[in-house]
Amino acid sequence: MVDKISKDIKENVEEFKNTFKDADDLVYRNIKIGKKNKKEACLIFIDGMVDKSVISDYAIEVLFDEMEIDESNLDSYKTSLSEKISEESIAVHDVKEEDSYDKLVDMILAGETVLLIDGSDKALILSTRGWPTRGVQEPQTETVVRGPRDGFVETLRFNTALLRRHIRDPKLKIKTLQVGRRSKTDVAVVYIEDIANDKIVEEVINRINKIDIDYLPGSAAMEALIEDSYLSLFPQLENTERPDSAAASLLEGRVVIIVDNTPFVLMVPATIGTLFQSTEDYYSRWPIGTLVRFVRILSAILTAVSPALYIAFTAYHPGLIPTAFTLYLAASRVNVPFPAVIEAFLMEITIEILRESGTRIAGPIGTTIGIVGGIIIGQAAVEAGIVSPLKIIITAITTISFFAIPSYEWASSLRIIRFAFMFLAAVLGLYGLMLGIAILIVHLAKLESFTVPFSAPYSGLGLKEGDLKDTLVKAPIQKLKRRPQFTFPKDKTRMK
Amino acid sequence: MKKNETISNLQIRNLLITTVIGVGILALPNQMVTILDNDGWIPIILGGLLVIPFAVMLDRVYKLYPDKNIYQIGREVYGKLIFNIFMIIILMYFVIQDAYVARIFAEVVKAYLLETTPTEIIIITILLVSAYLARCEIQVLGRVATLVYIILITLVGFLVLISLPDADPTNMLPVFNADFKKLPSAITGALFSYAGYEVVFIAYSSSDDKNNILKYIIRGLLVVIGIYLIVFVITLSLFGIDQIKRELWPTIAIANEVDLPGYFLENLEGIVLALWVVVVYSTLGPLLFAASRIFLNIFTTKSHDFFVLLLIPIIYVISILPVNVVEVYEKFGKVLNYFIAVSIIGIPAILFIGALVKKRRSKA
Repeated sequence: MVDKISKDIKENVEEFKNTFKDADDLVYRNIKIGKKNKKEACLIFIDGMVDKSVISDYAIEVLFDEMEIDESNLDSYKTSLSEKISEESIAVHDVKEEDSYDKLVDMILAGETVLLIDGSDKALILSTRGWPTRGVQEPQTETVVRGPRDGFVETLRFNTALLRRHIRDPKLKIKTLQVGRRSKTDVAVVYIEDIANDKIVEEVINRINKIDIDYLPGSAAMEALIEDSYLSLFPQLENTERPDSAAASLLEGRVVIIVDNTPFVLMVPATIGTLFQSTEDYYSRWPIGTLVRFVRILSAILTAVSPALYIAFTAYHPGLIPTAFTLYLAASRVNVPFPAVIEAFLMEITIEILRESGTRIAGPIGTTIGIVGGIIIGQAAVEAGIVSPLKIIITAITTISFFAIPSYEWASSLRIIRFAFMFLAAVLGLYGLMLGIAILIVHLAKLESFTVPFSAPYSGLGLKEGDLKDTLVKAPIQKLKRRPQFTFPKDKTRMK
Repeated sequence: MKKNETISNLQIRNLLITTVIGVGILALPNQMVTILDNDGWIPIILGGLLVIPFAVMLDRVYKLYPDKNIYQIGREVYGKLIFNIFMIIILMYFVIQDAYVARIFAEVVKAYLLETTPTEIIIITILLVSAYLARCEIQVLGRVATLVYIILITLVGFLVLISLPDADPTNMLPVFNADFKKLPSAITGALFSYAGYEVVFIAYSSSDDKNNILKYIIRGLLVVIGIYLIVFVITLSLFGIDQIKRELWPTIAIANEVDLPGYFLENLEGIVLALWVVVVYSTLGPLLFAASRIFLNIFTTKSHDFFVLLLIPIIYVISILPVNVVEVYEKFGKVLNYFIAVSIIGIPAILFIGALVKKRRSKA
């Protein structure tokens, strides 16, 4: 392979044909430019990744007609031939000169068109990217009642544009990196220069640069590759499909990472506080926002501990619940052939299966699964006396609580934790459950997200500065004069 | 990037509060009332206030030697050998205190939650779980303390709320009627409940704002005094002195005594105790951390992980030595009283005097 392209166009085309051997979607369009002095040229691009009308109307046609090259006078030009063509005869909005062979190959793969000209040792790169894309649609996962309806798409450039639309600030920086030896996936690191803390930005860029992988399947893989402790159950990054949510996090001094080919962007650092926030909070009045925050925290606790509490109370401490209730419980369980522990595990596993089968299937079959699951679990199991009605209620509460938590990853971690808690409660009752919670507290305190403690603000960072005003509760916007402190923002005030 | 090794003063304050408040609070009203009847609140306040001057001394010592931790200061003032002996005494104190807390805790859990489970199992499990905390670095301890502090405050608030309807403030009377000759022994007993504030000795050098730390330590001690007083007042106004004298752990009994109409959870003491597990846990962990940190400084190794695991069996054996609860309080009480005097009062005073003398000499 050669480093630089040569002056002989035949050699160059041959070189490209060698590199892209057996790649039938490559197009080599040979043309002769100029009306009088014909000069050979060749356009190379990948079919399907370029906007063909741009190439034909503004490159080929223009070159046919307008270009006049005075061969005899060639050496007298102050500028080189390629520069002259780029300045005078091509009507594409972005044209670059390049002589590195590898760079040209990369550009062809990215969807640009390379123009080789005979006798010039520089090729032109015409910006002609244009491939099938999905339009901006309302995100499926984070729907809001009153917010904007646009969502991120798979194309990185569209996504950065969506962010720019929210923040028209020259300080908004978009740094593009490439990850993946083979996939060469574009990754954009977005931050606001005079808000985001340099250390966090630097840390993000360092970690992304350290990745050495052949293919980056999307932002989930990116998340796994750059998070602080990948062995932990808990997500240390937050993701969103909404530009407004990403823009808001930029203004909190966080860093947004956009990965090409994924509509989900990552936001770092993430803390327990931010994982309980949802976009909807900022589009509703503050009392409602505060109420739902409490509801979410309660849901998180219920998701993790309610089956374990059921086991602990029925199997170990029936004395701790009111006598009337104990009697009711005993009566409802009189026909149940299993101990409470088995009953609880049975139901929780059933609901997991039901959830899994329902996730992949949409439409009529999905409804069938719902009906079958509902009838079997809700009625038949109770009537047959296999499980007690109370257990059904507990299972239902656990399941709906799961969906009340805005971050799916955070909720999923709690969902897994609940099995560990159930096991502990089965062994040591309420005491076992509390031991589990103690371990969980320490684990959460140990976790860090890009040098920021994951347990903030509840573990101290920003507590004095009033970070609770937008985490535990949602204070009126007039009271949120300062940015949250967990990101150590350079510019601390938001409103005066 | 270098990890942030500092902890904020707020976290140090919370670490102080959660470490000090542990099993002591359960029996404190009983102990105080047994000695001084209705005036049990006096030694609680005085005991707490007594600690403050020594915290001030400690602060002065650190100010004399900025950027050094307590081990480095001690070695500079007294020489390596003598200070290591001091440290070993403190180490023994931490170990015995940890064993005592674990044992009392196990007895309480056994009495209210797990009647049939052997005490040994409870001790081993809580020790292993607190080893997980003790193996962390100081900033994690600070964060855990803050998280637990929230639980602690909720719990105390809950106790106050549920006891309001049944409280009878006249039970507090008469005031200033007790035999004040017993006051010194009562204060010694109350001092026992302030054991554990020594973790501040270790946390101090990691503070991110050393100029204001004394304020936070004193505030922390005041919060502890406040919580002890609240619990004392609640128990006394609910039970009166005669019943308190019969209850070994009156604080837990609060939840059992109150009876609100339409109560969903009839027997609240189990629930209160379950939450208390986390609070006791945040006493055991830091103590174990402190003990293994001393080891680390004696042997000058890189990390204290290993010593935590080494200490667990020792603590376990010490904790199962007494046969029953009465013996736990008697035996551990006697031994720990001496240690507490040395550790709460002795170490700051000795360091303070030594450091002052040394500085004077070097000036002259």
